[in-house]
Amino acid sequence: MIFRAVEDADLIRQAARGRVEAYNLLVSRWEKRVYNYLLRITANREDALDLTQDVFLKAYQNLRKLDDPGRFAPWLYRIAHNEAYSMFRKRRPEADVDEIEPGATEAGITVGGSSVFPIELSLAVASALGRLSPDQREAVVLKIYQGFKFEEMAEILACPVSTIKSRLYTAFELLKTELAPIKARGVS
Amino acid sequence: MSCSPFDLRDYFLRELTDPQQRQVEAHVKTCQPCREEIDRLEATEAALVSLRDEEIPQRIAFVSDQVFEPSPWRRWLAGFWGSAARLGFASAAMLSAAIVVYALRPAPIQELPKAPQQIVQTVSGGDIQARIDAAVARAVAEVDAHEAEKNKQLVADLENARKRLLLAAAELDLSEMRGRRDRVLAANYGGPHEDGDRK
Repeated sequence: MIFRAVEDADLIRQAARGRVEAYNLLVSRWEKRVYNYLLRITANREDALDLTQDVFLKAYQNLRKLDDPGRFAPWLYRIAHNEAYSMFRKRRPEADVDEIEPGATEAGITVGGSSVFPIELSLAVASALGRLSPDQREAVVLKIYQGFKFEEMAEILACPVSTIKSRLYTAFELLKTELAPIKARGVS
Repeated sequence: MSCSPFDLRDYFLRELTDPQQRQVEAHVKTCQPCREEIDRLEATEAALVSLRDEEIPQRIAFVSDQVFEPSPWRRWLAGFWGSAARLGFASAAMLSAAIVVYALRPAPIQELPKAPQQIVQTVSGGDIQARIDAAVARAVAEVDAHEAEKNKQLVADLENARKRLLLAAAELDLSEMRGRRDRVLAANYGGPHEDGDRK
């Protein structure tokens, strides 16, 4: 008997045939990452949780449209991005998408497991992220926290790689100015 | 301005190809400013990742509702129409099949359309006149023949009438002669002879 790990592609194929158990297993693998992505661009736990549920429901309904299971992650995050920005538009329909700021960014995101890391650094990071524009913050989240490549980020955000790099590097210049000195002082 | 052969940020974010990564790595080892820039980027990243992921407050799971669960056929159809690749493949397959069927079908017998026979006759004015004359002559002959027939019939009828008149006159003469004979006989012999009347 040969054992092998069940890959996402296996689960996606089974879920596309209507096997809900396979989809639930797939959800359990991705829900934390999607939730934290949404949490960092919405800065609100309730919104992030509601959106995460919507994202996985929509993903299940459209799973058969996913031709390449290997592209599941960018495809899923594309849905998440669209859901989040759809929510932003509903709340402030008159505002330009680029001007939309998540409601709780000024207060910063409350960090879970704060006993592990110094609160000063956590607050500084949350504050620095909150001062970025939504586009810059999302680029940092997708790159640093979610580990996507530029091409995948371009697919998720539906914009050229050059735009992604521009947003990310501008954000990094701002973050470097604020965070590098704190880290260099050896807070952690 | 960096003196690195490639963008230090691309190197730091591991977006360069392997040879490019090695090239920048070798450069950074010997270049103090670039080394310091990489240190700052690493410090920034370390600060960012200190913000750990949170646990999701509520696990997400779905249950299958048999009432609203689409049938396998409907799922397949939805997947088919929802997939541009599958639709494209089906279209290409149908097109290929049509081409193959067209190529393999028996060649039809070439029936060339018959060109209408073009009869060109050159008719002179004299011929036309001759034809008209012939047609007129035929028509006159037919009328003459018809008239002759009628005349012939009329003559025959007259002849018959004449014969009937002659016959009637002869009968009248005969009757008058018999009257005279009867009167003579009656005057001479006292009455007509029955046998003589019958002869």
